[in-house]
Amino acid sequence: MPGPELEERVNRKDGSSFEVVRLWALRLVVMTRKELLQLGRDVPLLLFLLYSFSLSVYISGAGIAMQLSNASLLVHDGDHSESSRELIHRFREPYFRFDGDVSDPKEGLARLDRGTAMVLLDIPPRFHESILGREPVTVQLQVDTTNAPQGLSAAAYAARIVGGFSFDLALSRLGAASNNQMPMPMVESAHRVWFNQDQDETWFQSISHILRMITLFAFLLPAAALVREKEHGTVEQLLVSPVTPLQIMLSKVLAMTLVILAATTLAMVTVLKPVFGVPIKGSASLFLLVTVLYTFTIAGLGLFAATVTKNQAQVGMIALLVIAPMLLLSGITTPFEAMPPWVQSLMALSPLRYYIDVTYGVLLKGVGLELLWDSILTMALLGGVLFGLGLWRFRRQFA
Amino acid sequence: MNLRRIAAVATKEWKETVRDRLFLLMAFLLPPLWMVVFGHGLVLDVEHVPFAVLDRDQSSMSRDYLYRFMGSRYFDYRGSVKDAREIDRLLGDTAIRMAIIVPDRFEEQLLAGRPVTVQTLLDGTFPLHADTLKGYVIAINHAFTQELLTSFLARTRGLGPEEAHRIAEPVSIETRYLYNQEVRSTWSMVPALIMFSMMVASPLLTALGVVREKETGSIYNIYSATVSKAEFLIGKLVPYFVISTINVVVLWLLAVLIFRVPFKGSFPVFLTASLLFVLCATGIGLIISLLVRTQMAALIITIIIAMVPTILFSGLLVPVSSLSPGAQMQAHLFPAMYYTDVVRGSFLKGLELEDTWTDLLALGGFAVVLRLVAYGLFTKRPKA
Repeated sequence: MPGPELEERVNRKDGSSFEVVRLWALRLVVMTRKELLQLGRDVPLLLFLLYSFSLSVYISGAGIAMQLSNASLLVHDGDHSESSRELIHRFREPYFRFDGDVSDPKEGLARLDRGTAMVLLDIPPRFHESILGREPVTVQLQVDTTNAPQGLSAAAYAARIVGGFSFDLALSRLGAASNNQMPMPMVESAHRVWFNQDQDETWFQSISHILRMITLFAFLLPAAALVREKEHGTVEQLLVSPVTPLQIMLSKVLAMTLVILAATTLAMVTVLKPVFGVPIKGSASLFLLVTVLYTFTIAGLGLFAATVTKNQAQVGMIALLVIAPMLLLSGITTPFEAMPPWVQSLMALSPLRYYIDVTYGVLLKGVGLELLWDSILTMALLGGVLFGLGLWRFRRQFA
Repeated sequence: MNLRRIAAVATKEWKETVRDRLFLLMAFLLPPLWMVVFGHGLVLDVEHVPFAVLDRDQSSMSRDYLYRFMGSRYFDYRGSVKDAREIDRLLGDTAIRMAIIVPDRFEEQLLAGRPVTVQTLLDGTFPLHADTLKGYVIAINHAFTQELLTSFLARTRGLGPEEAHRIAEPVSIETRYLYNQEVRSTWSMVPALIMFSMMVASPLLTALGVVREKETGSIYNIYSATVSKAEFLIGKLVPYFVISTINVVVLWLLAVLIFRVPFKGSFPVFLTASLLFVLCATGIGLIISLLVRTQMAALIITIIIAMVPTILFSGLLVPVSSLSPGAQMQAHLFPAMYYTDVVRGSFLKGLELEDTWTDLLALGGFAVVLRLVAYGLFTKRPKA
C-alpha cells in the first residue's frame, strides 16, 4: 500500500520520475489484487474454471472422433458365395462395424430411415458367377448423408475397399493367365503424415478445447468485471480515486490473464502431457508468451464490448454475437480453406485464426519464431487496436 | 396457482426485457444472424486444400498425373518446389497442407509396366483432414492406375479398349446418397443450426433472470410477496419462452425459404419438439441462475455449458454414434441430441410421429425434470 508520505511527495511533484513510475505500478498492483480477490470469492465460478481446464479437456479430448469410425454397416447379400463373403469381410473395423444381414433391401432402407444404420451394401445375385465368367459386375451402396461429411467419408472408404478388391481380382487373374509374376504398371500411394504420425485425434481435440476455453474466459471475465462496476456504480468511485482509466482497464486484464495462464498451465501439466501424451515439440514458454498476448487481445475485445453495453445481460449477448462465429469459423472446428471467400476475409479479423496457427505450430510442429512471426505480429496489431479502442471509449464515457 | 399472479410476474419480466433495447434486439437478431453466417460459412467439406509438388521426373506423364490434382476442386495448387527441404518449411508454416513427390523415372517405369510409388506428405495436425486427403489421393491414384492398366493391356495383349477395361476393373461400385443426394453440407448443417441457436441463446436469456434480482436485491420483494415459488418460476419463464418460440418459427422459415432445405416431415411434430426443447433450454438457464450468486458466474457458466457440449456432443458436427462411450453418455444426458435427431429427421428424412416419439418423450422428460430441479433449488427463505 502506498504510504501517505509517498502519496504527498508525488502530489507535490517533487518526487523523481522513478517514484512516479513506482507509484503507478503500485496502484496497478493493488487494483489487480482487488480483481483477483473478487474473483477468488466467487466459488461456483472458480470451480467451473477448474472443471473447464481439466476434466472437460479430458472429456472432449478422449470423446470426440471426427474421423469415420464404427459406421454401422448392413449387408444385403443376394449371392451368399465365396466371393461375396470375401468382399464383406473386407469391410471391417475401425471404419465399419458389421451390423448384420438383411434379407430384403427394403428392411435395410427402413433402418437407414430410423437412423440405426448408416450404410447399406447390396451385393447382386450371381455375383460370384459373373466374376468367374469375367463379366463386369456392380455392387450397390446406399449411404445416409444427413451428416454430409461422414456420409462422404463412408462412401470414400467403401469405394476404396471395393476398388482394392477389384484390383486384386484383376491382378490375380492376369497373374494366373501368364503363370508368372508379371509386373503391372501401377501408382502406389505412400503416405507420410507429419506432426502426428498416428493421426491421434486426442491431440487435436484436447488442444482445440483449451483454445475454446481460453477464448471464452478471456472475453467474458474482464468484460463482465468491467460492466459489473458500471452496473453497480462503483466505476464512478474508481474514477474519482487517483487511478486512471488505463489502470482500471489494465488491472482487469492483468488479473484475468494471470488466472487464464495458470489454468492453461494446469491443463497442460495435468491432462495434455500425462494423459494424452501430446508432444510439446516447440518451446513451451513461447506458447505461454503467445497465450498472454492472445489473452490481452481477446480481453481488449471484451473490454470494448463492455464499454458499449450497460449491463451483464447485454455483454452476454455481445459475447455470443462475437465469440460463436470465432469459435466455429476460425479453423478449429472446420477446415478453413473450404469456407467461402467472404467468410475467410471476415475471419482474417479473428485473433483466434492466428493463435491457432501459432499453437499447433509450436506444440505439434515444433516450429519457432522464424516461421510464426507474421501470425504473432498480426495478432499483436489486432490486440493493440482493440485495446486502444476500448480505452478510448472508456475514457470518453467517463472522463 | 393463481393465474393473475403469474401474469403479474410475467408482465414485469417482459417490461424489463423490452425496455433493454440492445438486449431485445440481440435476442431476436442473433439466431437468424447465426443461421445465415454459419449456414454459409460452416462448411465441413475438405476442399481447396493447398498443396505443392516436387516433380523429379518432369515428363509428360508426370505432368499428366499431377494435373489430376491441380484440376480437382479438392485441391488448390500452390506451386512446385525444387527441394524437399522447402516442403518442410511450407508445411511448418501451414502454407500448404500436402506435398506430392513424384520420383524420377516415373514415366519410364510405368511404360515398362513396373509399379511406381508416389509419396505424399500430409499435415496431420487436423487428423480428420489428413484422413480425408488420404482418401482423395488414393482415389486419384486408383483411377490413374486403372487407366494405365487398361492401356497397358490393350498395348501388350492386343485387346480392344472395352475388353481391356473389363479385365482391369472386374467389380465396380455404385453409390447412392440418401436424403441429401448432392451431399451438401448446408443441408446437414442448417437444420442442426436451429438446434444450435435455440440451445445457445435461450438459456442465456433466462439465466440472468433470477440471479440479476439476487445481485441487485430486488429478490427480497419476491420473498416477501404473496407470489408462490411455482408462480414466480413460471412467470419468469414466459417472456423468454415466447421469444424463443418466435425465433424457432423464424429459423424454420429461413431454412426453408432462404436455404431451400426440403422439409419432408410433419410440421406439428417439429413444432412440438421445438417447444419442448425450448422448455429444456430455458430450464438449464434457470437452474444455473439458481445455483450461482453473481451474474458474472451465471453468464460464463451458461455460455460455456450451452456452447461447448452443443458444438461437440449434440450431433451437430460428429454423429453421436461415433463418440467414445463416455462422451456418448454425456451426449445422452443432454437434451440437444434428441432434438437434433428430430430436426434433421423432419427436414431430410421425412420422419413422422411414429419414428420420433421416443425423442419427443425424452425431451418432455428433460423439460419436466429440469423444472422439478429448479423448483427444488429455489427457496423463498434466504440462508442467513
